[in-house]
Amino acid sequence: MADKLASYLESLKNCLKIDSAVKDEAIREISTHLEDASQELKEGGLNEEEALTLATDKFGSAHLIAQEICEVHNQGSWQDAFFTALPHFLVATLFASYYWQNTTCLLLVLLATTCVVIYGWRHNQPLWLFPWLGYYLLPLMVTGILLIYLPQGWTWLAALVYIPLVLFIVAYIVRQTTNRDWLYVLLMVIPILVVFMWLTSSSTGGQFLPSSTQLQANTLWLTLSFFTLAVATIAFVRVKQRWQKAAALLIPASLILLAVTLVNREGIGLGAGSILILSLLILVMPAWIQLKPEPR
Amino acid sequence: MDYKRELLKGNTECLLLCLINSQSMYGYQLIKELNRRSNGYFHFKEGTLYPALHRLEKEKLIKGNWEKSPAGQERRYYHITGKGRRALFQKLSVWEDFSTAIRAVVQPRTS
Repeated sequence: MADKLASYLESLKNCLKIDSAVKDEAIREISTHLEDASQELKEGGLNEEEALTLATDKFGSAHLIAQEICEVHNQGSWQDAFFTALPHFLVATLFASYYWQNTTCLLLVLLATTCVVIYGWRHNQPLWLFPWLGYYLLPLMVTGILLIYLPQGWTWLAALVYIPLVLFIVAYIVRQTTNRDWLYVLLMVIPILVVFMWLTSSSTGGQFLPSSTQLQANTLWLTLSFFTLAVATIAFVRVKQRWQKAAALLIPASLILLAVTLVNREGIGLGAGSILILSLLILVMPAWIQLKPEPR
Repeated sequence: MDYKRELLKGNTECLLLCLINSQSMYGYQLIKELNRRSNGYFHFKEGTLYPALHRLEKEKLIKGNWEKSPAGQERRYYHITGKGRRALFQKLSVWEDFSTAIRAVVQPRTS
């Protein structure tokens, strides 16, 4: 009958998408509650199976309880919302002020991002870490793609050493983040998709990176897209329910990707088109997960 | 709409703060005490207690610690904080005014 208790707690654990330390404490506490309740029922004359069945019935649906606990913990403070949206605001400011053309400024932003990511990763990976992580992974991925454009000998080196290494790092981080919560993967991946979309759709002449002139021509749209991401991120942190969180990110992100496509209609080639389709697929996946009926 | 359930839902946190203010307790103990003091009037799914406790703890009105029970088992005991005590007195004062006003309306004094 310990199986019945373990199965109830397992189902509760699977539904609890909160910080792992809080989750472990909650499960331990509920486990002691069910043990106390079934012990008392056994003392009242029920056998072990009946006692545990009645105790879990009186406790209520694991899914509903987990959902209510998640609602308590999933709403971040305004401070969390600010730190989570900060990298998007920084990028929007970089474009609005034309400081993206200043190498020192870019290096300083990269250094600050690295420090923030290392700090966040070592301090229990708080919610605000994930957009920063997205921007941190971006230069690593862009460098990998740029290496492909080098003379042929170097391309092989990039393909055999650098790209697999970056893919390994990205896969490791995505896996760790998925274990925590799939929605956080979304928070991390969206800025990467938006930047890749801008790069591939603005560039011309078979180059991966667009020229300064091409970027300057789109300054207003670039600023607006990252500002919109920042506002969407604030909404994501502040809303309580998971479907609202998914919608807060999915709708603006899809609109941004479509807007980039429309702004750069002439530059859209096979690369940008593929990234758009891939992005929309990645964005739709969590919505599908959210809409799946959960076991009661 | 179940009126009793709605009333209980709106006052769960006040009831929990009141119980924890009288003595530090763990989850199962809170359910038993609530049942005992209300003569079984407050009846709800036991699991719904925990989201309320998490909410109170997040608002720093109570604090949970793992401690040994008199039987020697580890249980998560909740203690009221200074902020929790102030919130409780405020809620109780609002409740007193509210219940006085309700009583005055439904049972008007005859002159």
